Amino acid sequence: MSLTLTILPQDRSIQVRKGTILIDALHDADVNLITYCNKTGLCGKCFVDIMKGTPPPPDPREKEFIARKRLGKKSRLACLHRISGDLTVRIPEESQLSLMPVLKRGLRRTLLPDPAVKKVLFALSRPDLASPLSLSEQVQAYFPGLRHKPSPRILEDLAGFMDDPSGEATAALYEDAEILDLEPGDTAEQNFGIAIDLGTTTLVAELVNLNTGKTLDAATALNAQIPFGADVLSRITAVFQDPKKSGALRTAVLVALNTMIEGMLKKRRIATRHVYEVVVAGNTAMNHLFLGAPVKTLAVSPYHAVFSSLPPLSASEAGLLMNPHGKVFIAPNIKSFVGGDIAAGLVAVDLVHQPGNYLFIDLGTNGEIVLKKGRQFMATSTAAGPAFEGMNISCGMLAVPGAVYKAEFRRGLRVMTIGSAAARGVCGTGLIDLIAIFLDRGLLSPQGHIQNREKEIRAGQNVVLLQRDIREVQLAAAAIKTGIRLLLGLHKLTVGELDGIYVAGAFGNYLNIDNSMRLGLLPRLDKKKILFVGNSSLAGAKALLVSRQERARCERLAQTIKHVSLATDATFQKTFIEALEFRAWT
Amino acid sequence: MNKERLLKDMAQAIVEGHREAAEALAKAALAQNLDLHEVIEKGYIPGIQKVGELWERGEYFLPELITSAECMKAAMAVLRPAMERARMEDVSLGKVIIGTIEGDIHDIGKNLVASMLSANGFEVADLGADVKLERFIQAARDMKADFICLSALLTTTMLGQRRFIEMLKESGLRHQFKVLVGGAPVNQKWAEVIGADGYAENALAAVKLAKSLKEKR
Repeated sequence: MSLTLTILPQDRSIQVRKGTILIDALHDADVNLITYCNKTGLCGKCFVDIMKGTPPPPDPREKEFIARKRLGKKSRLACLHRISGDLTVRIPEESQLSLMPVLKRGLRRTLLPDPAVKKVLFALSRPDLASPLSLSEQVQAYFPGLRHKPSPRILEDLAGFMDDPSGEATAALYEDAEILDLEPGDTAEQNFGIAIDLGTTTLVAELVNLNTGKTLDAATALNAQIPFGADVLSRITAVFQDPKKSGALRTAVLVALNTMIEGMLKKRRIATRHVYEVVVAGNTAMNHLFLGAPVKTLAVSPYHAVFSSLPPLSASEAGLLMNPHGKVFIAPNIKSFVGGDIAAGLVAVDLVHQPGNYLFIDLGTNGEIVLKKGRQFMATSTAAGPAFEGMNISCGMLAVPGAVYKAEFRRGLRVMTIGSAAARGVCGTGLIDLIAIFLDRGLLSPQGHIQNREKEIRAGQNVVLLQRDIREVQLAAAAIKTGIRLLLGLHKLTVGELDGIYVAGAFGNYLNIDNSMRLGLLPRLDKKKILFVGNSSLAGAKALLVSRQERARCERLAQTIKHVSLATDATFQKTFIEALEFRAWT
Repeated sequence: MNKERLLKDMAQAIVEGHREAAEALAKAALAQNLDLHEVIEKGYIPGIQKVGELWERGEYFLPELITSAECMKAAMAVLRPAMERARMEDVSLGKVIIGTIEGDIHDIGKNLVASMLSANGFEVADLGADVKLERFIQAARDMKADFICLSALLTTTMLGQRRFIEMLKESGLRHQFKVLVGGAPVNQKWAEVIGADGYAENALAAVKLAKSLKEKR
C-alpha cells in the first residue's frame, strides 16, 4: 500500500510503501540522516519532528533522549519507526549529515612534475602515392618506443576528427610506452589528473594540472556509502549478509565521486577527455568496496585483503568520469586494514628520507600507527573508534559549523566553535580540550570519574559531557596509546628516542598538543617534534599523481612495511587497561 | 581480630583492590579455622558485589573491575587448597563455558566477563578467542556446563552466534545449556531473534543475568 511522506523544510513529497523504516524512506528521498549506530536507536542522532500524522509510541531509550535533549513530544528517531500512515516530517539540521570543510593547510611537499601521462605534440605528414603510410604507421614511426600499439578506437577517433590528413596532432602518452589518446591539433597544455582521498566518512578530490603539478581546484563530499553503515566493518557486514549490496555500495561511492569530478571540470571548463589519470588513496576496506572486490576475508581473522598492489586500471574498470582510455591508480594497501591512504601519507611526508625514528599516527576511526626505526617500518591499526570524530559522544559531532573545536579556561570557560556559529555540540579536538580542563579543575578524576553530584559536566547549553562520554574517550585514547606503546616496546624504542611524531587526519589541524599529552593520547616529548600533516592521504595521492618516482617508492614501501597485530599481543590487555587512565606518559 | 571485623576487611580489600590485604585476610581466616563458606559469602563476595554497584554508578571502570577480580582470585587461591583438603563443596553458582567466536580475536570484554563471573562464584572455563563452534559444544558437554557464553565483537562474526544455536538444536542439545550472547554489535533484539537465553551488555550485567537464570531452573 502506497503512502505519502512529506519532508520539510525541503517541501518534498514522495510515495512510500507501508512498513518502510522512516530513515530508509528519507534516504531514498536524498535526505541523509546521521547513522552512526547503524540505525539501531543507540546514538540518538536521527531525530525528526512528526508534523502531521500519528507519531508511534517512543521506546524507553528514545524517551530518555527526548527528555535529555529537551525535544518536543513529537520527536522520534527515524531509524526506529516504520511508516504506517501518511506522514509529514520536519528534519532538524542537527540530524543531517553535513559537509566537512576541505583542509587547506597541511604539509605539502613540492615535487618536480614527472607524471605518468605526458602530452606530446607531433606532426602528421601527407602520405604520398609512393608509400601510402597508414595513420597507425605514422604514429608508430613517431613514437618508436611504444610497447603497445595504439588501439583502433583511438585511431578511428583521430581519423574522424582530422579534415586534413597532415597537420598537428597531440598524443597522450602513458609511461612513455602506451598511447592513451590521440587528439587533433595542439592540446599539449590540456593534461589533467585527479587525486582522490577515499575516506570512510568524507571524500576529497583535487584537480591537478599534470604538466605543472599545480592544484587547480578541490571538492569534498560525504561518502555516500554512509547510509549502509557508518564504519567500514558495518558496510562489509552488509555485503556479507547480502552480496547484492556490493554493487549498491560501489555505485554509491562512484556517483558521489563522479559528481564531484564533474563539478570541478565544469567550473574550470575542462573537458572530461583531458583528464587522463586518477590516483585513489583509501584504506584497504574502502579500496575493496570501491572496486566491488570481495570483502569477506577482511571481516574475519586474520583480516587479510584480496589485493594490496594493483596494476593501473582502465577508466571503465574503475567506473570514474575521465578520458575513457585513461588510467586509475590505487595507492597500494600495506597489510590488513592498513591501506593505501597510509602508504600515500607516508610518501607525502617523505618519511623514508627522514633519518631517525618516527611515529606516524592517523587519528581517525581506524587509528593507524606506523613506526619508523632507522630503516625499518612497522604498521598497525588500533581501531580507536569514532570518538575523535565526535561520534558515540552524546553531544558529539563532526568538525562542522557549530562544533566546539577548542576550549580554554581563562577566568572562566571559553569555547570556540567552527564558523563561530552557536555551539551545537563538540568535535574531537574540543573534547580533548574540555577533558584536559576538567581534569585540571578537579571535576574529573584521572580514572575518568566525574566528581560532581550531577555526574555530568556542562560546558554550555548544548555541550554536556556525561560519564559514558568520558568512558568513550578513555577507550579511544587508550587504543592509540596502547598501539604506540606496543609498537615501541616490540622494537625496543623509548619515547625519548623518537625524532618526531607525524599526526595526520582531519583532526590534526586543530589538535592542542599540550592537552593531548595531558590525556596521554600522545606521549610527552618536545612539542617541536610533533608535526601536523593534515590530510596526508590526499597529499600523498597527489604526490603519486604527479611523480612516477614517488609512485614507485610507494609501491616499494608498502611491500616492506611489516604489519603488527595488536590483538594477538600477549601484553595487549594489560597495556590497554593501564592506558585507560588520563595520564601523561613517556 | 574478631570475625565481623575480618569479614568487613575482606570486602574492603576487594573493593579497594588490595591484593596483599585480600591474601593476608584469607590466611588469617584459615589460621582462625573459620567456616570458609561463610568467609566467602559474607566476606569476599559482598566486596565484589559492591564493585558491581560502583560500576553501575559509573564510579568504577575497567581497571577497577580487573584489579578487584584479581584480588578475588588471589584470595580464592589461598582458600581453595584448604577447602579441597576438608572436602568442602565448591560453592559454585554454576558452570560456565565462555569464549570469543571463531573468526574473531578480540577478547578483553570476554576476559572481563569471565573474571567477574568467576569472582562472583561461578566456575568458569575460558576457551579463549577464535573458538570453533564445535569446540564450544564439546567443552560444554565435557564440563556439564550450565551456561555457554559467546562473545563476538564484529558484526560479521556475530552471525556465528545464530549458527551456534542452530547447531545446538540440530544435535538435540539446545535444552541442556543456557546460551548467553554479548559483544559490541550484539543487543537484546538480536538475542531474541536468534533464540538465545539472554544478552548482557557488560561483565556486571552478565553476572546479574547468569544469577537470575540460574534461579529460574
